[in-house]
Amino acid sequence: MMRRVAALVVVLLLAARSVWAQSCAMCGSSFGQNDPVTRAFSWSILFLMATPYTIVGLIGAYLYFNYRRSPRRRRASVDALARSSAEDGQGDLA
Amino acid sequence: MPRRAFAPPPREVAPPVSNTRIAMLVVIAGETMLFAGLVGMYLVFRLSRPWPPPDLPRLPLALTTVNTFVLLASAWPMTRALRATRRVAPRTVTRGIALTALLGGLFLAIQGAEWVRLLHHGLTLGGSMYGATFYVLIGCHGAHVLIALAWVAIMAAILSRGRLTPRRRAALEMCGMYWYFVCALWLFLFPLVYLY
Repeated sequence: MMRRVAALVVVLLLAARSVWAQSCAMCGSSFGQNDPVTRAFSWSILFLMATPYTIVGLIGAYLYFNYRRSPRRRRASVDALARSSAEDGQGDLA
Repeated sequence: MPRRAFAPPPREVAPPVSNTRIAMLVVIAGETMLFAGLVGMYLVFRLSRPWPPPDLPRLPLALTTVNTFVLLASAWPMTRALRATRRVAPRTVTRGIALTALLGGLFLAIQGAEWVRLLHHGLTLGGSMYGATFYVLIGCHGAHVLIALAWVAIMAAILSRGRLTPRRRAALEMCGMYWYFVCALWLFLFPLVYLY
């Protein structure tokens, strides 16, 4: 146990070591303000950022509307209605 | 004895969305991300330099427009085949998917002829970034159409011999989803690569 804690402390100390912040050679800031490459990267990043949200949103909407239209859900609501009316009926008899 | 002991067991009801359909949706989501990465790459090169480069051939727009209609038309017999599975009309199903396969094959043949012409005109994969992005993006879509076509052909062969069982119907439904995916993908790639 002590060994694990010691190893964890060593790893954390190594991770906390200060390093120089370096930007990627392809980073948008490497190019000028009005450079077409910057614009191209911006559009590409925006597109790649929007795609997963679009996919998850579309699939989520598809699953949601299929669930709402499903006969199981309808039957469950009918069962619930029947149960509540039966309970009401019992209450009247009592 | 409590009344509940005589209650009938709950009926088996199919889930709102079948597991096979969810699996296919996951596959399609993964494929979409693959193409998103390729489109992202294309956008970087497309927007950062003069496009198309002046010394390289232009893409054949008229032929590809016709080809687009061929691919989109192939979705119609697939829809008919899928509808016919609900009516249990095996002959209509087989005919529909055979026609889908035929149109898909025609799409690939036209695209192949177009590529041969472009190669003869000097647009090669390694010659320029324009050629590289075009062949990688459109070629990846072509490979997906080829896979979908093989799937449709296998389904046509299986259904022409045997009965339309529930398992086969589910397999055909997955095949139809994949076919619609490659058609929808082309609707996005064609304007991006050929018109924009």
